[in-house]
Order: sequence, then C-alpha cells, then structure tokens
Amino acid sequence: MKPKNKKNYVGALSSVFAIVIGLLVGLVVLLLCNPSQAFPGFATILTGALTHGMKGVGQVFYYATPIILTGLSVGFAFKTGVFNIGTPGQFLAGGFGAVFVGIMWDKLGAVHWVVALLAAVVMGALWGLVPGILKAYFNVNVVISCIMMNYIGLFSVNWIVKSYKPLFNTMRNESKNVAVTAQIPKMGLDKVFPGSSVNGGILIAILVVILIYILLNKTTFGYELKAVGYSPDAGKYAGINEKRNIIASMLIAGAIAGLGGGLLYLAGTGKHIEIKDVLGSEGFTGISVALLGLSHPMGVLFAGIFIAYLTAGGFYLQLFEFSTEIIDIIVAVIIYFSAFALIVRTFIGKINEKKQTKDGGMDT
Amino acid sequence: MEYVIEMLHITKKFPGIVANDDITIQLKKGEIHALLGENGAGKSTLMSVLFGLYQPEEGTIKVKGQEVKIKGPLDANALGIGMVHQHFKLVHNFTVLQNIVLGMETVEKGLLKMDDARKKVMELSKRYNLFIDPDARIEDITVGMQQRVEILKMLYRDNEIMIFDEPTAVLTPQEIDELMAIMKNLTAEGKSILFITHKLNEIKAVADRCSVLRRGKYIGTIDVASVSKDEMSEMMVGRKVNLTVEKSEAKPGDVVLEVNHISVDARQEGHTKKLVSDVSFQVRRGEIVCIAGIDGNGQTELVQAITGLRHISSGTIQMNGEDVTKRSIRYKNTHGLSHIPEDRHRHGLVLDYNLGYNAVLQQYFQPEFQSHGFLKNDRIYEYANKLISNFDIRSGEGASTITRSMSGGNQQKVIVAREISREHDLLLAVQPTRGLDVGAIEYIHKELVKQRDSGSAILMVSLELDEVMNLSDRILVIFEGRIVAQLDPKQVTVQELGLYMAGSKKEGGADETKE
Amino acid sequence: MSIVYFIFQQTMLFTIPLMIVALGGMFSERSGIVNIALEGIMIMGAFVSILFLNLTGGKLSGQLQLLLAIVISMVTGAVFSLTHAYAAINMKADQTISGTALNMFAPAFAIFVARVIQGVQQIQFNNTFRIQSVPVLGKIPILGPLLFQNTYITTYVGIVILLLSTLVLYKTRFGLRLRACGEHPQAADAAGINVYRMQYAGVIISGALGGLGGLVFVVPTSTNFNADVAGYGFLAIAVLIFGQWKPMKILGASLFFGLMKTIAAAYSGIPFLAALGIPSYLYKMIPYIATMVVLMFTSKNSQAPRASGVPYDKGQR
Repeated sequence: MKPKNKKNYVGALSSVFAIVIGLLVGLVVLLLCNPSQAFPGFATILTGALTHGMKGVGQVFYYATPIILTGLSVGFAFKTGVFNIGTPGQFLAGGFGAVFVGIMWDKLGAVHWVVALLAAVVMGALWGLVPGILKAYFNVNVVISCIMMNYIGLFSVNWIVKSYKPLFNTMRNESKNVAVTAQIPKMGLDKVFPGSSVNGGILIAILVVILIYILLNKTTFGYELKAVGYSPDAGKYAGINEKRNIIASMLIAGAIAGLGGGLLYLAGTGKHIEIKDVLGSEGFTGISVALLGLSHPMGVLFAGIFIAYLTAGGFYLQLFEFSTEIIDIIVAVIIYFSAFALIVRTFIGKINEKKQTKDGGMDT
Repeated sequence: MEYVIEMLHITKKFPGIVANDDITIQLKKGEIHALLGENGAGKSTLMSVLFGLYQPEEGTIKVKGQEVKIKGPLDANALGIGMVHQHFKLVHNFTVLQNIVLGMETVEKGLLKMDDARKKVMELSKRYNLFIDPDARIEDITVGMQQRVEILKMLYRDNEIMIFDEPTAVLTPQEIDELMAIMKNLTAEGKSILFITHKLNEIKAVADRCSVLRRGKYIGTIDVASVSKDEMSEMMVGRKVNLTVEKSEAKPGDVVLEVNHISVDARQEGHTKKLVSDVSFQVRRGEIVCIAGIDGNGQTELVQAITGLRHISSGTIQMNGEDVTKRSIRYKNTHGLSHIPEDRHRHGLVLDYNLGYNAVLQQYFQPEFQSHGFLKNDRIYEYANKLISNFDIRSGEGASTITRSMSGGNQQKVIVAREISREHDLLLAVQPTRGLDVGAIEYIHKELVKQRDSGSAILMVSLELDEVMNLSDRILVIFEGRIVAQLDPKQVTVQELGLYMAGSKKEGGADETKE
Repeated sequence: MSIVYFIFQQTMLFTIPLMIVALGGMFSERSGIVNIALEGIMIMGAFVSILFLNLTGGKLSGQLQLLLAIVISMVTGAVFSLTHAYAAINMKADQTISGTALNMFAPAFAIFVARVIQGVQQIQFNNTFRIQSVPVLGKIPILGPLLFQNTYITTYVGIVILLLSTLVLYKTRFGLRLRACGEHPQAADAAGINVYRMQYAGVIISGALGGLGGLVFVVPTSTNFNADVAGYGFLAIAVLIFGQWKPMKILGASLFFGLMKTIAAAYSGIPFLAALGIPSYLYKMIPYIATMVVLMFTSKNSQAPRASGVPYDKGQR
C-alpha cells in the first residue's frame, strides 16, 4: 500500500489560486497604466516567452537554471524546518568560488568546469554552514544570521575581486571572463534550442532536484531531517541528533545555492560578478520559487520554470512601454497569497479532523 | 434566597460528544459552591460557557435574575464574573502591580497613573490578607504568590462572582491551607465563589454546597455538611464502576532500572531551583512501579531526566546493570527503553508524518526498515498495518493517515502500540490514559499489565489516584522533587496516599512543614 | 576638532534612519508580530515621499516641503504595512513569508510606477533641506557644531521619536497593553484587551516609522532615489536585536552601526584612519560581523518578546 498525499493536492490547488490572483493583479496594474495596451501586454506576459519558438524555450531554461537551484535550497531547508534567507549570500559565495577557479586554475583542461563547480558548491556550503553552526551551538536565529552572512558575503567578494588584480576587470568594474574550459558544456542542448543561451546547467539542476527528492523521501537521512523539521521535540524524543541535523541541513542548502551561483557565472553568457553594494536577485527569487513550489523538489522545478517563463515574457513587455518590473510585482503578489494558502490547507485539514473525531475517542 | 448566577438546562455539544447535557447550577450570594467531577466530566466546558468562551446549544444563563447573553470574557467581566484559570494569565516580565491593572489602567494626561492603583491594590491586599510585593516581577515569585495576584486581579475589577478552576493542583499544602482561608474570607466579604475540583477534602473544608457532574450529566446538588465523603465520591464516579484491573500477584525479577541520587536543576533569571532532588529507586522485571504526586512536583522532569530529554545535574542511571547516565537518547532507545511520553502531541508523534512513519519513529534506521540508508517503505507500511490490526487503531486511511487528523484516543493508541511492540526491558508510561475515554483507558491498563506479566519493568507516572491504586505493585510518592514515601497499594488507603501526595505525611517521621 | 564634528554629523545621518526604523520594528515585535518587511516599507515610504519632493520642487519652501514629505512617508508606510498586518493577524499567515512578499513588491512597484510617471526609474530631487546652522543654538561652543550645524530637521524628528517611543512604551496605557500582547496574548485577552487591535497598532506604527526611515535615509545622502535603501531595513532588524528590543539600547546599537558606516564611507578623509590602511570593505562588514558575534553571546537567553512571530488564535486557550 502506498501513501497517497492528499495534502500536496490541496497545496497545488492553493498555488494555482495564488497564481491566478497574482496574474489578475498584474492585469489590473497594466489597465491602470495604459488601458489600450493592457491586454496585448498581458498576453505577452503569458506567451511572450514563446515568441521565438525553440530559442525562446531555451532561454526560459537558461533563466530557470539558477533560480531552480536557489529555490531548491530554500525549499529543502524549509522541509527541514529552517528558513534559509541566506541564498543570496550563498549564491554569490558559490559564484565567486567558480569564478576564482575558472580564472586562476586554467591548466585543468577538460575537468576545469567540474572543479570550478565543485568550488562553487564548497563555498556555498561554507556560507550555509555558519548560520547552521550558530543555530546549533548558540541558538542564534537563522533568519538573522543568514541576512548578516548575505552582506558579509557581498562585501568580502567585492573586496577580493576588486583588490586581486588577476580577477578584476578595471574597465567594466566587474570580474574578468572565466577560461573557456571553465564554461559549462552545452551537452547537446544547443542543437535542440538553437541560438539560445541554455547549456548543460539545466540538466545538472534537474539532476540535483531528483537527488534532493530521493534524499528527502527515500532515505533515513531525509526521514530524520523532515521529522525534526516538522517537530523538533518529537525528533529529540526519537533520538535524532538535532544539532547535527540543522548543521547538515544548512550545509546542503548552502551547497545547492552555491552550485546555482557557479552555474550562472560559468554559463559563458557574459555574466560577471559586478562590484556594487547590492545583492543579486537570484537568491531572493529562490524564496519565491520555493514558496510557490510548496518546498517540494518537483514543485520547485516547475515553479522555477514558471517564473523564468514569466520573466522571459516580461522582456517583450518593453515593446508596449511597460517595464519588466511588472513581473516582480506579480510574483510578489503570488507569494503574498501563497502565504494565505497555508491557511486554506489547515482549514481543509481541520474539516477532516472533525470528521475523524466522530469515530474515535474523545480528547479534551 | 437570591441566586447571583443561574445556569439553567445548559447543553453544549462537540462533534461526537455531548460535553454538557442539560445541566443546571445555581449559585447563592456569599456561598462557596463546589463543582465536583472527574476529569472529562464537563466542568471546564460548563465554566467556559459561563465565561463566554463557548456558546451553549440550549439553556439560559441568569445573573441576579436577569437573563443574559455572555459572548466573551469582556461580557463576563462586565457582569462581575471573574476567573482564576488553571494556567495563570500573567505576563512574566511585568510587575505584580502591572499585571493587576492591565486592562483597567487609570491614566492622567495620557500617562499611566499607578499611584491610585497601587493604593487600591494595597488596600485590597490588606483587607483580604493577600500579602504581595507590588513591585516584584511575576517570574521571580512563587506559584502561590502568582495565584494571589490572580485573585487580586478579580478584586481590583470588583468582581462579585469568582470562579476558581482547579486552584489547588499546583499548590503546596501550606499554600492550599492559605487559599482555603482566603476563599472563606472572600465570601465573608460578600463574594460568591464557584470552586472547580475533584478533591473531596477541599470541598469538605470550605464549600457550602456542591454540584456533581458525571460524564457530561448533572447528578445533583448537595449540602456539603450533611453528606459524607463516601457519598460524594459515589456521586462523582457513579455506581462503583469497576475500573479495577484484574491482575495476579507481581513476581519481581532482576533490577532493570536503577536511579541513584539524581537531581535536576533549573536556572531561572539568576537563581537555581531544584526540580528533582536526590531521587533514588529501582524498578524490577515483572512489576509496575508508580510515581504518584500532584502535578508539578517534579515527576515530568524526573522522567525526562531518565530518558535523556532533560539534562541531569547529578546522580547516575543504570539500565540492566549498565551505567547509561551519559548515553544518548538513541542509545537508550535501542538498549531496552520504551517511553510513552506525557505530551503525545509534542513528543510522542510527528503529527505531520503519517501513521506508518510514526510507527517506526525509533526504528527507521534498523536493518528491518532500511538498507544502505534507503527506507524500505513497503516494510514500514506492512509493520504499521500489523500494529493497526493488533491494537485496533482506527484511522481514515490506514497506515497513510496523517496522524494530526486522528482522534486523541487513536493517536495515543499509536504511541502505546509502537512502544509496547518494540523490544524493551523497561517501559516508561507517563499519564498514559490522560484525556481518554473509559474504553481506551481500560484497554491501555490491560496492555500494561500484560507487559508486566511478560517480564517488562514498568515505571508509570499518574496523577489519578484510582489509576495509581489499581495498577501499581509499588507506589513511590513524589513531593517537591523528592521521593517522600514508598508504599504498598494493598496496605494503604486512598486517603493516606492523598496525604502523602500533599506532603502532609512523610515516611520516617520527617518534620512536616519543611519549606 | 572639525574632523570630530564631521564624523559626528555624518554618523547622525546614518544613525537616525536606522534608529527610526528599528524603533518601528520594536513596536511591531513588542505587539507579537515579526516585521521582516521593514526594507520594503522603507522603500515604499521613500518612494512616495520623494516623488512628492520631485513634483513639488521649487514650489514650496524647503523645510515645509520636507515636513510634508515626512507626513507622506509615514502615511505611505502605515498603509503599506496594513497588508502585512492583514496577512499576519487575520489570515494567521507565516509572518516571514508575508514580509518577504512585501520586500519583493516594494522595489518592483517603485521602479514600475516611476517609469510610468516619468519614464526613468531614478527620481531626482533638489536637496534644499540642509540647515547650515540652527539660529542661536548653532553658536553654542562645542554643542553647536556637534548638534546644530550641518544638520537636517529629520535628525530632530528622530530624536523626538526616540523620546516619544520610550515614553509610549513604558509610561502609557497603550505601551503596557502592547507589551502584554507581545509577551502573553492570552493574558491580555483575559484582561479584556483586544489583542488583534493592539497588534494592528503595532504593525501600523512600524509601517509609519519604516516609511519615515526610508525618507530620512535618502534625503541627506543623495539627490535621487533608485528604489533602493541599501539593505537598511535588514540592518535595522539587526539593530533591533542588538538593542534587545529596548529604545535606549536601540539608540546605542544605531550609533555603533552609524559610526561604522561613516568610517567605511569617509575613512580616507580621516587622517588617522587613512594611515591605518584598512580597506573600506572591512568597515562595511564590521556591523554585520559584530551583530553575529553579539548574537552568539545573547541568543541563549534572548529578551525577545515571547509571543513574537506566533499567530494569536483567540480560540486556543
């Protein structure tokens, strides 16, 4: 007998509900700005990504790659009871690791990109590890230490890139190009999606999604992580080592986000670490992706592609003189309402509970 | 005689149960009226109706002859009804005075004016012998003091009708005596008191009249002076329901658990408090040892210290002759310890896991249920289904039911089934029947005896005197963190046991009023 | 001496907005609602009020214009924070998620609307608000240059807010009730206090102060607004924790952070520090590192309001 997961079904429904409201709000905003262009503009949001056929689809996957991973990072941590708002820092730290190896260790040949990605994973993991350790041994609120680590990451990466000559492109105030050998191979995707920026990164991202799915749902380690996430006290009762769990959880979450950073900066599409005092958006978008995907690895995969799809469509909005920020507005509204959706779910849960009490003992 | 409160024909239903079935209670002015009943008899529900927390399906409430609708605590307060809740409603880092005036503050030019309030509180405190330090912070004063603050809160609000919900459960005997005196004092000044309890001694000591509830039904109202304790007891429990468990003489074998001089300290804002102090005892195979005591005397902490959920300050614990003091929870779990925890929602279950996953909460890592780190889901559900049929656990979707959606009784059955079915030498059962209906209680009692007879050592914690008397082979009485007596249930009466639990009797003739 | 005055004046420019926003956060958390949306609220407050400055530039006298902008920023922040209050209080939503949504919404909205109205996302304004020297007071030796020269009216507004906050929190009925809700809402409810209403009040005050903080942050340091407050909202949360949810300690924490920011921004102009040769990035990082270190030592017994972040459900007793 297999357990059917009714909860996810309800959850998915509430995500759809949030998406519909988000899109409606977007439409209203467009209508308020320029009624005559609103509907064509709205249509562009929905279908713009497909304007150039397979190339467009390829672009969607290209945009989706980093945010699937940051989303997976947040979602994974959520499942284990931690709110990892440190993805921007972990993402950047990972990106830095990749760029450093990508520029400096250019004698590695064919495995260069693999080593660079590993560096990204290690750096991201390190950045996740700190809040994990602080929580486990000093009970420091993870949200706060993650926010602190974001800024520490931002300033230290900027500092190193700017002050270390081999890394710094003074002309453009950003990091130099990585070696060609460090770029992520296309893995045949350039044939499927000609002319687009997509590369093997999306395949790596999907692979990681599957791995995390298996880890969470099929292994004893995942059983422990989730048990503590759902109920730390019951986890302790069951003899699960809480401290080890939180550290492992943040370590893995950081590693995933770091990998995302590595894949973006090694894509060979002109992405560099820019020296400015602002955190990149990919990390924060990961939070949206995770919430929309209900923290489930597969949900995160689809949510990442969905948000990338909207973003890709958003670029064409400029044709109608709307700015692309409308997409961020829509996503923010979706997140806002998906927070409500948790209520919808518990509400349905309570109805079930009431049905059950009728055929069981009383609990006062 | 004029009634200040009349609750007439109150009926309150919850899904699947009638909590109050046509109950009528009338409170006279200036009397202490006890509301007697066992756990789950419907006392708290009735008081919640009076306090406006629940709306009854049928029945009316009259205050001083006027029919009223009470929609919430505010309405109740406006009618002069106040309540001391079982769990005090005090802000821990506020002062006594701040807690008393909260919600009824006097202001001048927008700023709090505490002087008048202080004066009024000090006057009340003097008049009713409720001595307090108005500037002490709640977290720094004793439970008894906190209760005084709650009473002063009612007095400050000029409440005429006061509800005390099981006020003695958390008090020491001295504090109980003081409370009784205070209550009498209050009625002498014209207040009327509704006193919820299931302790007959207390009713005898202070109450004028007593209304008895049993399983949601109104049994009757009596004059306390003219009815004996035995008669009241019979009204409370009905025609001597035979909850006695059939069991043979215990045949104690080897020592399984040995606790030596353990203490548990708690640090609160600078000062250290001993929750468990210097406790030693043994539990052998084939016997049920019961720790009896009034709630809050250290039994929770003692058990948590044994299982490892709480840090031990000093002492050692041995299981099967091995020192396990410093061993992890996991180690104890896999070396013969089973534990039915006090709080099934907090500790006993991962409520968002399904029944199957909860059934292997301490075993998922055993070779039976995993290989190379991968869960054998088929085996897990197979095992869970076995428990479901062996223990008659009812759930909507079998092993894949999320435990949060199950009823309390069935949740408890899942835990009991899991802990009993695991290989174990020692079973810790903490209030294993709390909040369950009679059927479930009987079932769990039988299972415990069965476990004993098959050679388990059982250490049980219970707050229910009947359970203690019926089930145990040996009783350890805990009071203020100390084991004050070891008793044989066949040689001791319930009354005597009650005296030990209240700390007014100690073995070895130790002085009675040691603070 | 002029260096000291300069550092102090600069420090105030960083300190005041941080303090105002952290005080806002304090009111929200003291009522039991975590407000991680301060960053977004700052952006909204700054956006609308600076748009006002942009549209009325030259038409109004400097200080009056700024005072009006202050009111507008506070109203904007308060209104925007209502969405958080509704989600957190009425819908019992996860307060971190709802706050994150607001943080995402604000910059996108600011850029979008700015583009619609004026084509570009930066909003320019003329800084005519600097007070060279306050009449009379500016002439006082030492104190004059420290507090009453090269200053902004917003600095004094900030100080008034600090004093008012302390007064309100500890000396008024409202403050007593607010604190009760953040510590033990059941107790407050039993005492007849409308917990939901108090929590709305807490969040709305945090919105008003957050919005104001946005304006106060942008005005002295820039002449345009680009939908960004440089993470000050998050930093204010750190200040709040650093300051243990108490007004005077929040002032201390803000001063420390403000000083570090000042050094990072201006150390090359300070001979003593320039000679040390420590790169500015280190100064930029110090507040964040310091916060983490402090948290390591204070988190075991935190002074955080006990019920903060836990949705209050009347039904549960």
